[in-house]
Amino acid sequence: MKRKFSRSFDELARIVACTEEFFSDHGIDSSLRHVVDLCVEELFVNMVTYDTETDADILIEMAPHERGVEVSMTDYDVERFDPRSRGDVDIDAPLEQRTPGGLGLYLVLKMVDSIHYEYRDRNSRITFVAGRK
Amino acid sequence: MFTIGFDESGNVALAGRLDAAKAPEAQDFLDQVSGSCSLDLAALEYISSAGLGVLLRTHKRLMGGGEGLKMVNVSNHINDIFMYSGFDKLFDIEVAGNGSAG
Repeated sequence: MKRKFSRSFDELARIVACTEEFFSDHGIDSSLRHVVDLCVEELFVNMVTYDTETDADILIEMAPHERGVEVSMTDYDVERFDPRSRGDVDIDAPLEQRTPGGLGLYLVLKMVDSIHYEYRDRNSRITFVAGRK
Repeated sequence: MFTIGFDESGNVALAGRLDAAKAPEAQDFLDQVSGSCSLDLAALEYISSAGLGVLLRTHKRLMGGGEGLKMVNVSNHINDIFMYSGFDKLFDIEVAGNGSAG
Protein backbone atom coordinates (compact mmCIF):
# COMPACT_ATOMS: atom_id res chain seq x y z
CA MET A 1 0.00 0.00 0.00
CA LYS A 2 1.37 3.38 -0.97
CA ARG A 3 -0.95 6.37 -0.73
CA LYS A 4 -0.92 10.07 0.01
CA PHE A 5 -3.22 11.84 2.43
CA SER A 6 -3.99 15.51 2.84
CA ARG A 7 -3.14 17.25 6.09
CA SER A 8 -6.47 16.91 7.82
CA PHE A 9 -7.77 14.83 10.72
CA ASP A 10 -10.72 14.06 8.44
CA GLU A 11 -8.33 11.81 6.51
CA LEU A 12 -8.10 9.40 9.47
CA ALA A 13 -11.19 7.50 8.31
CA ARG A 14 -9.66 7.00 4.85
CA ILE A 15 -6.36 5.90 6.39
CA VAL A 16 -8.20 3.29 8.46
CA ALA A 17 -10.05 2.07 5.38
CA CYS A 18 -6.78 1.75 3.44
CA THR A 19 -5.17 -0.11 6.34
CA GLU A 20 -8.10 -2.50 6.53
CA GLU A 21 -7.81 -3.17 2.81
CA PHE A 22 -4.06 -3.75 3.11
CA PHE A 23 -4.50 -6.25 5.97
CA SER A 24 -7.20 -8.09 4.04
CA ASP A 25 -5.25 -8.20 0.78
CA HIS A 26 -2.16 -9.63 2.47
CA GLY A 27 -3.87 -11.87 5.02
CA ILE A 28 -2.07 -10.18 7.93
CA ASP A 29 -2.94 -11.09 11.51
CA SER A 30 -5.80 -8.76 12.44
CA SER A 31 -4.55 -8.58 16.03
CA LEU A 32 -1.89 -6.16 14.74
CA ARG A 33 -4.53 -3.70 13.53
CA HIS A 34 -4.83 -1.94 16.88
CA VAL A 35 -1.11 -1.24 17.06
CA VAL A 36 -0.85 -0.16 13.42
CA ASP A 37 -3.96 2.04 13.58
CA LEU A 38 -2.82 3.74 16.76
CA CYS A 39 0.78 4.33 15.68
CA VAL A 40 -0.21 5.61 12.24
CA GLU A 41 -2.77 7.98 13.74
CA GLU A 42 -0.40 9.32 16.38
CA LEU A 43 2.39 9.98 13.88
CA PHE A 44 0.00 11.42 11.28
CA VAL A 45 -1.64 13.73 13.83
CA ASN A 46 1.77 14.83 15.04
CA MET A 47 2.83 15.71 11.47
CA VAL A 48 -0.40 17.59 10.75
CA THR A 49 -0.29 19.45 14.06
CA TYR A 50 3.34 20.48 14.20
CA ASP A 51 4.59 20.55 10.59
CA THR A 52 2.42 23.50 9.64
CA GLU A 53 4.84 25.22 7.27
CA THR A 54 3.94 22.87 4.42
CA ASP A 55 0.74 21.89 2.68
CA ALA A 56 2.21 18.82 0.99
CA ASP A 57 0.37 15.53 1.31
CA ILE A 58 1.74 12.89 3.70
CA LEU A 59 2.81 9.59 2.15
CA ILE A 60 1.94 6.36 3.98
CA GLU A 61 3.41 3.06 2.83
CA MET A 62 2.71 -0.38 4.27
CA ALA A 63 4.38 -3.68 3.43
CA PRO A 64 4.27 -7.18 4.91
CA HIS A 65 7.22 -7.87 7.21
CA GLU A 66 8.54 -11.16 8.59
CA ARG A 67 7.36 -10.12 12.05
CA GLY A 68 4.15 -8.41 10.91
CA VAL A 69 3.89 -5.08 9.14
CA GLU A 70 6.36 -2.38 8.18
CA VAL A 71 4.94 1.15 7.90
CA SER A 72 6.69 4.21 6.54
CA MET A 73 5.35 7.75 6.76
CA THR A 74 6.96 10.61 4.87
CA ASP A 75 6.35 14.29 5.47
CA TYR A 76 7.74 16.63 2.77
CA ASP A 77 9.47 19.99 3.12
CA VAL A 78 9.47 20.12 6.92
CA GLU A 79 11.90 20.65 9.77
CA ARG A 80 13.65 17.65 11.33
CA PHE A 81 11.62 15.89 14.00
CA ASP A 82 12.86 12.57 15.31
CA PRO A 83 10.03 10.98 17.33
CA ARG A 84 12.56 8.81 19.15
CA SER A 85 13.84 11.94 20.90
CA ARG A 86 10.45 12.53 22.54
CA GLY A 87 7.93 10.41 24.30
CA ASP A 88 8.98 10.89 27.91
CA VAL A 89 5.80 10.69 29.97
CA ASP A 90 5.69 9.93 33.68
CA ILE A 91 2.79 7.47 33.76
CA ASP A 92 3.23 7.13 37.52
CA ALA A 93 2.59 10.82 38.15
CA PRO A 94 -0.47 11.69 40.24
CA LEU A 95 -3.60 12.91 38.46
CA GLU A 96 -3.01 16.59 39.16
CA GLN A 97 0.35 16.39 37.37
CA ARG A 98 -0.85 14.41 34.36
CA THR A 99 -1.51 16.18 31.04
CA PRO A 100 -2.51 14.69 27.69
CA GLY A 101 0.59 16.11 25.99
CA GLY A 102 3.18 13.66 24.75
CA LEU A 103 1.11 10.57 25.33
CA GLY A 104 0.74 9.78 21.62
CA LEU A 105 4.44 9.46 20.85
CA TYR A 106 4.97 7.69 24.17
CA LEU A 107 2.46 5.02 23.11
CA VAL A 108 4.07 4.67 19.69
CA LEU A 109 7.51 4.05 21.20
CA LYS A 110 6.02 1.56 23.65
CA MET A 111 4.03 -0.43 21.12
CA VAL A 112 6.24 -0.79 18.04
CA ASP A 113 8.87 -3.49 17.64
CA SER A 114 11.32 -1.06 16.09
CA ILE A 115 11.34 2.50 14.78
CA HIS A 116 13.73 4.25 12.41
CA TYR A 117 14.04 7.91 11.47
CA GLU A 118 15.57 9.46 8.35
CA TYR A 119 15.79 13.16 7.43
CA ARG A 120 17.04 14.10 3.99
CA ASP A 121 16.44 17.10 1.72
CA ARG A 122 13.88 18.46 4.20
CA ASN A 123 11.88 15.26 3.95
CA SER A 124 11.09 13.51 7.23
CA ARG A 125 10.56 9.76 7.06
CA ILE A 126 9.55 7.52 9.97
CA THR A 127 9.55 3.75 9.56
CA PHE A 128 8.26 1.34 12.18
CA VAL A 129 7.60 -2.38 12.44
CA ALA A 130 4.56 -3.69 14.29
CA GLY A 131 5.00 -7.35 15.07
CA ARG A 132 3.43 -10.25 16.86
CA LYS A 133 4.40 -10.37 20.52
CA MET B 1 -17.90 5.93 13.11
CA PHE B 2 -18.22 7.19 16.67
CA THR B 3 -21.20 7.79 18.92
CA ILE B 4 -21.59 9.07 22.47
CA GLY B 5 -24.76 9.43 24.52
CA PHE B 6 -26.60 8.42 27.67
CA ASP B 7 -27.89 4.86 27.85
CA GLU B 8 -31.00 3.68 29.70
CA SER B 9 -28.94 3.16 32.89
CA GLY B 10 -27.77 6.76 32.92
CA ASN B 11 -24.24 5.77 31.95
CA VAL B 12 -22.46 7.50 29.11
CA ALA B 13 -22.03 4.96 26.31
CA LEU B 14 -19.22 5.35 23.80
CA ALA B 15 -19.16 3.29 20.61
CA GLY B 16 -16.92 3.00 17.59
CA ARG B 17 -13.60 4.75 17.09
CA LEU B 18 -12.55 7.64 19.33
CA ASP B 19 -9.74 9.20 17.32
CA ALA B 20 -8.39 12.73 16.86
CA ALA B 21 -11.19 13.58 14.43
CA LYS B 22 -13.90 12.57 16.91
CA ALA B 23 -12.28 13.74 20.15
CA PRO B 24 -13.84 17.25 19.99
CA GLU B 25 -17.31 15.68 19.75
CA ALA B 26 -16.61 13.51 22.80
CA GLN B 27 -15.16 16.47 24.71
CA ASP B 28 -18.18 18.65 23.93
CA PHE B 29 -20.49 15.95 25.28
CA LEU B 30 -18.48 15.17 28.41
CA ASP B 31 -18.08 18.88 29.20
CA GLN B 32 -21.83 18.84 29.96
CA VAL B 33 -21.53 15.99 32.47
CA SER B 34 -21.37 16.74 36.17
CA GLY B 35 -21.03 14.68 39.33
CA SER B 36 -20.05 11.04 39.29
CA CYS B 37 -20.11 9.49 35.83
CA SER B 38 -19.71 5.95 34.48
CA LEU B 39 -18.56 5.44 30.93
CA ASP B 40 -19.73 2.22 29.30
CA LEU B 41 -16.98 1.27 26.84
CA ALA B 42 -18.41 -2.10 25.75
CA ALA B 43 -18.79 -0.91 22.15
CA LEU B 44 -15.68 1.26 22.01
CA GLU B 45 -13.45 -0.35 19.39
CA TYR B 46 -10.52 2.02 19.36
CA ILE B 47 -9.04 4.92 21.29
CA SER B 48 -5.99 7.05 20.54
CA SER B 49 -4.16 9.60 22.67
CA ALA B 50 -6.67 12.26 21.57
CA GLY B 51 -9.43 10.21 23.16
CA LEU B 52 -7.32 9.52 26.22
CA GLY B 53 -6.87 13.27 26.56
CA VAL B 54 -10.65 13.74 26.58
CA LEU B 55 -11.00 11.19 29.39
CA LEU B 56 -8.14 12.71 31.37
CA ARG B 57 -9.42 16.29 31.10
CA THR B 58 -12.93 15.22 32.09
CA HIS B 59 -11.70 13.12 35.00
CA LYS B 60 -9.59 15.99 36.34
CA ARG B 61 -12.53 18.40 36.09
CA LEU B 62 -14.88 16.03 37.90
CA MET B 63 -12.29 15.11 40.52
CA GLY B 64 -12.07 18.79 41.32
CA GLY B 65 -15.59 18.44 42.66
CA GLY B 66 -14.80 15.23 44.50
CA GLU B 67 -16.28 12.98 41.82
CA GLY B 68 -14.71 11.43 38.75
CA LEU B 69 -15.05 9.10 35.80
CA LYS B 70 -15.41 5.35 36.12
CA MET B 71 -14.94 3.11 33.10
CA VAL B 72 -16.98 -0.08 32.83
CA ASN B 73 -17.17 -2.95 30.32
CA VAL B 74 -13.68 -2.18 29.09
CA SER B 75 -12.36 -4.58 26.43
CA ASN B 76 -8.95 -6.18 26.88
CA HIS B 77 -7.56 -4.19 23.98
CA ILE B 78 -8.75 -0.84 25.32
CA ASN B 79 -7.54 -1.84 28.79
CA ASP B 80 -4.08 -2.51 27.33
CA ILE B 81 -4.01 1.10 26.10
CA PHE B 82 -5.13 2.32 29.53
CA MET B 83 -2.35 0.34 31.20
CA TYR B 84 0.32 1.54 28.76
CA SER B 85 -0.86 5.09 29.56
CA GLY B 86 -0.89 4.64 33.33
CA PHE B 87 -4.65 5.24 33.38
CA ASP B 88 -5.10 2.12 35.50
CA LYS B 89 -3.52 4.15 38.33
CA LEU B 90 -5.83 7.15 37.80
CA PHE B 91 -9.25 5.70 37.02
CA ASP B 92 -11.60 3.12 38.44
CA ILE B 93 -11.69 0.59 35.59
CA GLU B 94 -13.86 -2.50 35.22
CA VAL B 95 -12.76 -4.84 32.46
CA ALA B 96 -15.60 -6.61 30.65
CA GLY B 97 -16.47 -9.79 32.52
CA ASN B 98 -13.63 -9.42 35.03
CA GLY B 99 -14.66 -6.72 37.50
CA SER B 100 -12.26 -4.05 38.70
CA ALA B 101 -8.86 -3.75 37.04
CA GLY B 102 -7.41 -0.82 38.87
